[in-house]
Amino acid sequence: MHWYRILSLAALVICLGSCLFHLIRLLRYGAPKDYSHKLGNTGTAIRYSFTGAMKPSKKESAYLHLPTYTAGLLYHAGTFLAIILFFLQLTGVALSPVWEYICSAVLLSGALSGTGILFKRMTSGKMRSLSCADDYFSNILVSSFQYITIFLLIGNIPVEAYYIVVTVLLLYVPLGKLRHVVYFFAARYQLGYFYGWRNSWPPSGNY
Amino acid sequence: MKINGNKEKALAVLKRRDSKLQSHLNSCVRCGLCAESCIFYLSTGEERYIPARKVDIVSSVYRRYNTLAGKLMPGLVKARELDEFTLTEMVDLLFGSCTMCGRCTAHCSIGVDISYLVSVGRSMLAEMAMVPSSLQSTVDAAIKTGNNMGIPVDELLDTLEWLEDDLRDEVDDTEAAIPVNKSNVNILYTLNPREPKFFPLSISAMAKIFYAAGESWTLSTRMYDVTNYAYYSGNLDEAREIARRLRDEMFELNARICVLAECGHGSRSFRWEGPNYLGSSYAFETITSVELISRYLKEGRIKLDSSLNTERITLHDPCNLVRSGGIFEEQRFILERAVSDFVEMNPYGYDNYCCGGGGGQLAMSEYGERRLKAGELKVKQIKNTGALTVVSPCHNCVDQLMQLNQVYRMNVKIKTLAEIVADALVLE
Repeated sequence: MHWYRILSLAALVICLGSCLFHLIRLLRYGAPKDYSHKLGNTGTAIRYSFTGAMKPSKKESAYLHLPTYTAGLLYHAGTFLAIILFFLQLTGVALSPVWEYICSAVLLSGALSGTGILFKRMTSGKMRSLSCADDYFSNILVSSFQYITIFLLIGNIPVEAYYIVVTVLLLYVPLGKLRHVVYFFAARYQLGYFYGWRNSWPPSGNY
Repeated sequence: MKINGNKEKALAVLKRRDSKLQSHLNSCVRCGLCAESCIFYLSTGEERYIPARKVDIVSSVYRRYNTLAGKLMPGLVKARELDEFTLTEMVDLLFGSCTMCGRCTAHCSIGVDISYLVSVGRSMLAEMAMVPSSLQSTVDAAIKTGNNMGIPVDELLDTLEWLEDDLRDEVDDTEAAIPVNKSNVNILYTLNPREPKFFPLSISAMAKIFYAAGESWTLSTRMYDVTNYAYYSGNLDEAREIARRLRDEMFELNARICVLAECGHGSRSFRWEGPNYLGSSYAFETITSVELISRYLKEGRIKLDSSLNTERITLHDPCNLVRSGGIFEEQRFILERAVSDFVEMNPYGYDNYCCGGGGGQLAMSEYGERRLKAGELKVKQIKNTGALTVVSPCHNCVDQLMQLNQVYRMNVKIKTLAEIVADALVLE
């Protein structure tokens, strides 16, 4: 096996191990506890937290910012596709040329969206006031991951470059904000539980 | 600034082995899309008021002391020392520019419970003895005297005595009463101390409703204060002590239901947070007066005539009662029967804007100007309805709305829900 594949595999193990550590730590801390008398339905609310509450029509963060919201969706779709393609690459599964172009199109929309989000973060005073190096570095890494996957699929780049980018990304995931890949699900679960216990979710009325 | 408190204790707040705390501390991606959900940001346009900044100041301290990157490369992940500079900013952001209304939480793209993290940050500041003095003095009064306004028992009894005389005149029944310290009753009714001090008519209104429903109820002179400002100061020991007193009074009087007066944070802090402060469930039912009145109507124990309230009325939903308390339908059920021209604000209910008076803001004179500025959105909402009366089942909100009414010359009347109901009561 080539050194760069071994390197990326080691990074993958570290990444998955760290994410698993975060997940197990959360599970060990236990389910939410509440001694007050329950008024609503936590199960329904947790489901709502992952479904209805995520609809663009339910969140100002989506419907007031549709371009950013759409870019975010494409960016995440591209990221997950690039991860799947990384596993295929590792296992030696080859795509047909048609699929390579389809995947490249999805990746390109994701990478451009990521670049757009980065541009917004760099040019908007509001966003700059919020941001730190982690925000820029995380975005550059993830966008690069998508760009270089495109080049790997339909371009002509040294395969070592691809694996080096993947390795750096995997090693960085547990360190910075990218670890929200684990905590996003936990946060939405907790929020659904909280609002469900108090009968606030799913909300009544015309929302 | 001199740091008096215990830094280790403050940092220990962030180390709690609590899945909720750890989930929310690690989730924010600083997308900034929460900005437009915050009344402080919307009313001023100042970037420092973006809710994500409030999350970040707490989570950046967390990262500095609890994550590998924060310990090794603090600059990379913006991990901050808990020093004077950070603490000063924390006080301003977490106490001075947040009502903990939770609207940003509901709209967060990730699902970070921002108001919860603000309360965590306030607990850290409480450990550092950095609660704004005005808010702390309100808590101190409650701890020392049993109510946050330090009202002596004699003064309360005098007020209740003349209110009882008025009630008897109004209902034309010499047996009508405002019972005090009566044991073995169905309901122990609590008060916001602002009622006996400044708004006694809301006590009269509720007494009239109890009379019409033929209820077995009492007030307590030992512990009647529904508020718990320690919930806002973040001092959990003091919050626990205040909740314990009310719980113990329920046992002392052997009452079956604790009915919480119209107070958003009071009902939240006793009903929802209280059992968690105390580490055990209550052995009695706890409901808000809004739910009680709705129950009376559904059971046919009181009757209302909406033609007695003909002016256009709008409703301000208290954040703690609706978004964080799940009480949405009841106040509308009541108003549909109590008034003939009801109009909703936009947005309303679960999505309603805070009035600006929550989070202990009304108690913190340091930030009065900012609070009134943050209330501008509420003023616009009210004006857009064309209503002549604004009703809100929360004395804190009523206070803020009254101040907004004066400052922004809205020329509306501000009332509690009980007052509106009492005006429409049909006594048979």
